[in-house]
Amino acid sequence: MSAERLWRDGGHETAGPADRWVAIMAGTALGVAGLRRGDWVGLGLAAMGGGLLFAGAAGVPVVQGVRELGGTRVAGLLPAASDEPTTVQAVVTIRAGREALFRHWRNFGNLPTLMDHLDAVEILDRTRSCWKARGPGGMSVVWHSEIDKEQENELISWHTVKGPSGDDADLPHRGQVQFKDAPGGRGTEVRLTIAYHPPGGQGGRMVARLFGSSPGVQAREALRRLKQIMETGERPTIDGQPHGARRGMMKLMAGDMAP
Amino acid sequence: MRALCWNGVNDLRVERVDDPRILAPHDVIIKVRLSSVCGSDLHLIDGYVPTMKPGDILGHEFLGEVVEKGPDVLKLNRGDRVITISIIGCGKCWYCENEQYSLCDNSNPHPHFEEAAYGHCTAGIFGYSHAFGGYAGSHAEYIRVPFADNNCFRVPDGVSDEQAVFVSDAVPTGYMAADMGGIRPGDIVAVWGCGGVGQMAMKSAYLMGAERVIGIDRYPDRLAAAQMKAGAEPLDYTRVDVFEALQAMTGGRGPDVCIDAVGMEADGFDTGVEYWYDRAKQAVGLESDRPAVLRQMIQCCRKGGTLSIVGVYGGWLDKFPMGAAMNKALTFRMGQQHGQRYAARLFAHIETGEIDPSYLLTHKWSLDDAPRGYRMFKEKQDNCMRVVFAPQA
Repeated sequence: MSAERLWRDGGHETAGPADRWVAIMAGTALGVAGLRRGDWVGLGLAAMGGGLLFAGAAGVPVVQGVRELGGTRVAGLLPAASDEPTTVQAVVTIRAGREALFRHWRNFGNLPTLMDHLDAVEILDRTRSCWKARGPGGMSVVWHSEIDKEQENELISWHTVKGPSGDDADLPHRGQVQFKDAPGGRGTEVRLTIAYHPPGGQGGRMVARLFGSSPGVQAREALRRLKQIMETGERPTIDGQPHGARRGMMKLMAGDMAP
Repeated sequence: MRALCWNGVNDLRVERVDDPRILAPHDVIIKVRLSSVCGSDLHLIDGYVPTMKPGDILGHEFLGEVVEKGPDVLKLNRGDRVITISIIGCGKCWYCENEQYSLCDNSNPHPHFEEAAYGHCTAGIFGYSHAFGGYAGSHAEYIRVPFADNNCFRVPDGVSDEQAVFVSDAVPTGYMAADMGGIRPGDIVAVWGCGGVGQMAMKSAYLMGAERVIGIDRYPDRLAAAQMKAGAEPLDYTRVDVFEALQAMTGGRGPDVCIDAVGMEADGFDTGVEYWYDRAKQAVGLESDRPAVLRQMIQCCRKGGTLSIVGVYGGWLDKFPMGAAMNKALTFRMGQQHGQRYAARLFAHIETGEIDPSYLLTHKWSLDDAPRGYRMFKEKQDNCMRVVFAPQA
């Protein structure tokens, strides 16, 4: 299953990073080209470019819309409630042994460093854990998980269960992580699969928001962070570095028109 | 501190910004002594790279002194005089382990742009737009360097600042261009572009055993430098037909190795209609790169020869003569430099006098004059090869 496919199957309404990037890039190109012309045709191009650019920046699914016009689905409609679980999967190759990776993941207490939406995972016993996440609008979401399958250095599988007071999980889902030797000493292939029931309407939107831009993206980001931490011991960042005044995009375009 | 910031197309300003600080355990802070302009900056300044943000600090080729280091930095100390490779490697991923540092899996903190546009993400680069990580550049009094043990190299005592600064980028890029050519005794190497990188490629080609080296450009001072400093036979493409001239100079075989040290903003004035075709498509965003040099190299190269591409491309190009390339069985090698692989070897060449890149530095200016410096460099006035800023001056 391709990454594109995962993003689209994520049951979400916002545009994935790829779509946004394409829209931003196309928008910028049109905008710059339009302003360079400096006539009415140019202004039209620039306006169109600006629209695409802001759509891209705001995450409006332009590309997805265009893509779906050719198909049977109509852009903008939420996926209907369904009994079929939606599955997203991500895979990455990490230059570390299966043992080390398995150990890191098996301690669910490490997971909040890999997933932004998780505040904490509390280990209750050998197989059970309590997960706390930030939901939409800062709302706290809590659920319980149980490990149902564990193969040393190969696989961990878990699913949500009823809480101690007998309440169902808000977002029932299953997760599985697999570790496999990559050929030729390339490290370990780590595959993360998450299956969930996308509730229709508001709930679907909540799943999307809870898991970031979409569960598929969330799975990919979790594996990327696992890779960064296991390979380099840090998370590469530019947050907090200096920069000049961010004068904004309108200024940028105006600058291009100056003589 | 003061820093040179990009504010929009052709709008550069020296601004007061915060001092950089250690953000991760493998970081160092470097007090910048010399920071050079580079031809690849022009693509950013001209607006061909859409992920620049107003306020971004430019510059990626620099020398300075380590003034602060993170807790996990093992090889460097305060006071070390170092150069930093422009393209950042984490030193730990599979690509870095295999000395392909510019393909590093981890050093780009914003991988989504490249993953969407290129399929995979490559290494972060200083001062080179947010698609390549958004790292603040070196045209500033201080700069933060991540994964410093892997990217900073102490400058040997016998090597001057002016010689060493270009080991950041221009020298390893030229050296790698020659290296990728797989030069064998008797080979004739043609280099398109006689700027800093092109001249370093010429010099390196001789070191690797080239029989003759031909340099192609249209600026008389650059052709003269290629001839006098790098020992190349100069070819002015505005005066001769490049194909005819190269065939005449190689007994009708064509050059064994063709090196592109120009990239996506190729002039290609000599190609007439073709130039305006690409220029027009580029202007309306239907083509992002002008491939005049690539097309000419494919035409000129001997059958079974090698094209080595270090001139920078960013997006798409078209009317690519695939038929000629395929039927002539050409080999294409390309990529951003893996400077970490070459730094020690290059310092050794400089110490023995086999390479002396210091002549590329034609103008040493204060950082305050940086906007004017870039204009001069871009318009190639005053025989300018490289303007190098001295932020502490």
